Amino acid sequence: MLENFSFRTIVEYLPLFGQGLVTTVWLSLLSFAGALAVGIVLSAMNLQRGWLFRVPAKAYIDAVRATPLLAQLYFLYFGLPRLGIILPELVVGILALSLNSGAYVAEIIRAGILSIPRGQVEAGVASGMTYVQRMRLVILPQAFKVTIPPLLGQAIVLVKDSALLSLIAVAELTRAGQLLASDRFMPAEGFVTIAAFYLLLYYGLKGLAALSGRWLGLQPARSSI
Amino acid sequence: MTNPSKGRTGMIEFRGVNKWFGALNVLKDITLSVEPREVVVVCGPSGSGKSTLIRCINGLETIRDGDLVVDGQRLGDPATNMTRLRTEIGFVFQSFNLYPHKTALENVTLAPIHVRKIPRAEAEKAGRELLAKVGLADKVNAYPAQLSGGQQQRVAIARCLGMRPKIMLFDEPTSALDPEMISEVLDVMVAVAEEGMTMMVVTHEMGFARKVAQRVVFMDAGAIVESGTPDEFFSHPKTDRSRAFLSKILRH
Repeated sequence: MLENFSFRTIVEYLPLFGQGLVTTVWLSLLSFAGALAVGIVLSAMNLQRGWLFRVPAKAYIDAVRATPLLAQLYFLYFGLPRLGIILPELVVGILALSLNSGAYVAEIIRAGILSIPRGQVEAGVASGMTYVQRMRLVILPQAFKVTIPPLLGQAIVLVKDSALLSLIAVAELTRAGQLLASDRFMPAEGFVTIAAFYLLLYYGLKGLAALSGRWLGLQPARSSI
Repeated sequence: MTNPSKGRTGMIEFRGVNKWFGALNVLKDITLSVEPREVVVVCGPSGSGKSTLIRCINGLETIRDGDLVVDGQRLGDPATNMTRLRTEIGFVFQSFNLYPHKTALENVTLAPIHVRKIPRAEAEKAGRELLAKVGLADKVNAYPAQLSGGQQQRVAIARCLGMRPKIMLFDEPTSALDPEMISEVLDVMVAVAEEGMTMMVVTHEMGFARKVAQRVVFMDAGAIVESGTPDEFFSHPKTDRSRAFLSKILRH
């Protein structure tokens, strides 16, 4: 089997894979930035006492978490033009990833904020701080620390999810693999190569997560008992 | 009655205050006046409502009915700016609640700088002086996790003093401490009391009560059962409930 495996073709297609990799990296970065923005707004809405903001935020988060990303992607890709909104595939892709990942980011941020002990809020209240001062000076700096590792985990998920954008013809990494597979009828070469590149991205982000944990003075999770 | 600040000298005035947690009447018809510079110790069995009582004073808990007037301002009145009033009231928690991401000095200066709007240099100078006053001049740059319980509680007291409050409330300030650290915290509280601070202290530390309190208030099941000078209360308790309580805390 391996004698049929053509490393030469992979090398020949490396520039294409390189372009795909670069596209995957920057579209993931943009999408993650978008997801952070969406997540911050949603979590702020979700932490309100009144239902006016909380209920829509919860409904949105549930809707996103309950439906497949592929369905959401097609919903935007085929749905937006019906509303007269014509956007390039890449923009639709980044939008879909931001809106999808934002729901998960919102829950991560909310959990981080709620993990700060009640006594910290009370200490701020007792010293006469306003809600905004408490958030800015006391709660968020502490919550930030505990949300970094799970946020990087979500970034890893987002990078893998970005493979779905190949289905709306975005020239990212998976699309490069598909092209090799269909041009030369070499699916093994195409998909093994992109898998290797995703693995590379995964280890990059994982390393970043470990580093950030050390910077922030967090203990690494135990791997055994 | 309608103008609560008129003709009253009390720094803290409870008048017929009631509070419920669900169906539970946790404060029952509380009437109590604390004069400026007075030190009042509140004691009573667990669940008697003493923490709730002092938490109402700075609005950490809200009351159902009755009047609570603090520094001439009626709580729950739309004209009362609660955030502003809280800057006049220091609150020391049983579990310290220091900000773990800030050093001792930053803990003390955070609210003065951001709430009182005192210039940073001035706030830091005052903060160092306060930390020296509570015996922690060498711990200015330490984080709470690097401090013992007694040291953390002293930072917490300095944090309150940094706001130059008119009133200090203490919610079982030594209950979470190892025995050998209790006196270092009580010494600081005695010093604060001797400077003329209006204080309400929830504690069972009788030595402290005898030394600085003008009055001991005994609570049981949400009501004030007995109130008197420390000597009266500890030596001649008037009710069965206070006698039963004292026999329990004095046994050891």
